[in-house]
Amino acid sequence: MPRNGTRHALTFFLLLMSFVSACGAPQAGAPGTAPTTAVDQPTASSAQATAAPADVQPTDAQPTPAPASGGSILRVARTAAPDSLNPGAQYIVESGDITALVYDSLIISDQFLKPQPQLATEWKNDAESKVWTFTLHENAKWHDGQPVTAEDAAFTWNLIKNYSAFGLIKVYTDGLVSAKAPDAKTLVLTFDAPVANSVERFSAVPILPKHIWSQFPDEKSATEFENKEMIGSGPFKLAEYKAGEFTRLTAVKDHYLEPPQIDEIIFKVYQNDDATVQALKIGEVDLIAPLPTAVRALKSEPNVTIVVGQALTLADIIINTTSKENCPPEKGKCTGHPALQDVRVRQAMAHAVDKQQLIDVMRLGLGTPGLSLVMPGHGEAYNSSLQDYAFDVAKGNQILDQAGYMDTNGDGVREMPNDPSKPLSFRFSWPSDQITDGARFAELLRDMWKQIGIEIVPQGLQNEALTSICCPAFDFDIIRWGWSAGADPSSLLNVVTTDQIPTGNSETGYSNPEIDALYKEQGATTDPAKRKELLWKMQEILLRDVPYIIPWYAQSVAAYRKDRFQGWIDDPNGLLFVYARQSFVKVTPVK
Amino acid sequence: MSRTDYLIRRISWALVTILFVTTLNFFLFRVLPGDPAKAGIRDPRLNRAQQEAIRVRFGLDKPLVIGPLSNPFDSQLVRYFGLLVRGDLGISYNSNRPVAEVLRERLINTVILVLSGNLIAIVIGVGLGVLAAWRRGTGIDVTALIFSLCTWALPTFFLGIILLIVGSSYLGLPVGGMRTSGQQYASFGAEVADVGRHLLMPTLVLVIILLGQFMLIMRSALLDVLGEDYILTAKAKGLTDGRILRDHAMRNAMLPVITLIALTLGFTVSGSILIEAVFSWPGLGSAIFEAVNRRDYPMLQGAFLLITISVVLANTAADLLYTALDPRVKAA
Repeated sequence: MPRNGTRHALTFFLLLMSFVSACGAPQAGAPGTAPTTAVDQPTASSAQATAAPADVQPTDAQPTPAPASGGSILRVARTAAPDSLNPGAQYIVESGDITALVYDSLIISDQFLKPQPQLATEWKNDAESKVWTFTLHENAKWHDGQPVTAEDAAFTWNLIKNYSAFGLIKVYTDGLVSAKAPDAKTLVLTFDAPVANSVERFSAVPILPKHIWSQFPDEKSATEFENKEMIGSGPFKLAEYKAGEFTRLTAVKDHYLEPPQIDEIIFKVYQNDDATVQALKIGEVDLIAPLPTAVRALKSEPNVTIVVGQALTLADIIINTTSKENCPPEKGKCTGHPALQDVRVRQAMAHAVDKQQLIDVMRLGLGTPGLSLVMPGHGEAYNSSLQDYAFDVAKGNQILDQAGYMDTNGDGVREMPNDPSKPLSFRFSWPSDQITDGARFAELLRDMWKQIGIEIVPQGLQNEALTSICCPAFDFDIIRWGWSAGADPSSLLNVVTTDQIPTGNSETGYSNPEIDALYKEQGATTDPAKRKELLWKMQEILLRDVPYIIPWYAQSVAAYRKDRFQGWIDDPNGLLFVYARQSFVKVTPVK
Repeated sequence: MSRTDYLIRRISWALVTILFVTTLNFFLFRVLPGDPAKAGIRDPRLNRAQQEAIRVRFGLDKPLVIGPLSNPFDSQLVRYFGLLVRGDLGISYNSNRPVAEVLRERLINTVILVLSGNLIAIVIGVGLGVLAAWRRGTGIDVTALIFSLCTWALPTFFLGIILLIVGSSYLGLPVGGMRTSGQQYASFGAEVADVGRHLLMPTLVLVIILLGQFMLIMRSALLDVLGEDYILTAKAKGLTDGRILRDHAMRNAMLPVITLIALTLGFTVSGSILIEAVFSWPGLGSAIFEAVNRRDYPMLQGAFLLITISVVLANTAADLLYTALDPRVKAA
């Protein structure tokens, strides 16, 4: 039966297609791809921003329909829906946004990473910084009307500590010995070591209501709890949640801290960045986080304000420096090029990277040249005294010449000093589904390193394929990737410690006892001046040893409708804070 | 072979296929590189102990097919089928919600979009195909052919983004989503109107992209038939054009088109990933895409089970329709 044969072939083909397209659909849809990873790329699919007619006036005839409650509604565009309403199952930034508005923490960090009171009105620590005592706010209330007590706070810290995988917040309870509530408004947290990252720790853990969470006897039930009511004590409460569509929060008008000026916030999900730009243009939303490529088109919009600020995000060039001794026994393959273990080669490579050109081409100028894993957004902890490797091709060539890496066969690529059959040709990969313009980056880098006789062989890989060769396999030479850091300056520094080589957090296989010791010491140093000294030293060593080359620290961009809301916190000296809770509480509608 | 035998054989084959694909899906997703405990999340805060704990929670610490000696049934496969038999599709790793609930929500959204697009495309495409074949070589034929080839070749994403800009900038249509978020509807009618406004552009894109294939297949199938001797005979008998087309040509020419229609409708449930991505439509296509990225096995298994059942049902329906249209099929 030829017809039947054709039909079965067709069925098979369509099934195959549906699977292939599910796996390889373009970046634009990418709702779930690694939001915590630094994916700060202008994407190829952003053509719309420039293709859009430049003179389109925001129309007031349509959208922005009457607010449900007749009050002021702030609409925020997001490119992914929250992964869960349960803080114990949240892993992406879009969930963190909502948790930060609905729950209170003990303290909150401002745009300069300084602690400000939140649920705790004041706090103090003992001489060793191991015992921390918090006094909670008198009038704090849960959204269901019950008072917030120290009992709730102690319960929350104990609960998270006892559950081995309670979202990304679990790590902040590491080292907790006990959480106690001697009276209704006093919380005492005792740790087994001095707490150096106090601002990040105490601002990151949302305080949960005991009367709701105590009904879950074990970790499984607590993490599978959908938390559809989301009872917190924050300035906004959950009103409506449509998975994949939007999350609607209403203001708590009698909030014990600073009640919001607006009535509602809606986080609306768009599945691609171009749609968010268009939605802002026509006034369907009030606030977006555009890609750098969209900035120019938005600048011509009369009612749109674009804010640029520091981000805690960086791009990195990961160099596989794993030595034989440090190769993870179980999963390690450690096939890195031997030349990369020579710090002189890495320094020469650093000299040959024109960071400003990379920033101008890849980020359209929205970035600053990077040094190591601590960023200007981390404030004083950022070592501003360091001098980066000058972009100097001659210097790079000189270093390699002196180190004995010569091009003996005249093909333009240098070879190993003792083995002329092994050229300095490195495999270069990037996560092609996250960094969609990685090929362009590779071209630029290839041309830069060609000038010092180093060749790269570019190959984009799917995120997961890349992870499997990256770490802890160390089956690569060079990878372009990135990180988003937490508020504490040390939050990324554990990835260069020797301990992390077998766990997969270390990407470079870099091992230096001095860094390991400094990392440990800074983690237990609570005197800010002393800690700063240690962190500065670490940055100096990392810059000298070049396990990473950091092409840029990203700047964040936000764009909002100035004809709709005003009063955003957009201090040019601090972190970009337009998306922060403090901004959402402060903004008022434009009359 | 009697008609009943044929039916029984077809239906039991359908069931076997579903069982086979369900098993295959279980392994297919686990062969993908990547680890659900950390897929898509690279964060130094997610340490090894946590990943291990997540794996235990998902049951991924258990062996794949055969459990430990003490309890050979304590394996992922047995657990999966055990739950499936009880109608439980498990909990999505990614969204922390029951898979069945997520699928139900997304399925309704997808069917609204894809079914309306498909039906319109089928009617217009088939109509155009018949017209072009009947008026072969004329201006109508050439125009319809060029139009169909062009729309068929158009990249969905490109057409989508152009229509999105046109619709939202000039026609006052929304940029994306399925309804105006946070809107409280006064009546069911108001809700339908709002969804309709959001549905307009994605449906238009779907129709434009799909109608080409229906037109082309209908046209070529009909041309094949029109060249047959019995059509000449029919003409020689003095039958009217309409009669020849309806009773002699169409009936045979419809066979490949029915196949295509059945398959297209069968795949309705898988949604249209690209269109859903452009118009931020909360359908199954985008849910599958997200699940692949996050290695959300329960969600993928559930979605592919749904697609399998739907495709197999559509195919079985096509088989049964064949017997009605073409008596020779039964004998085979």
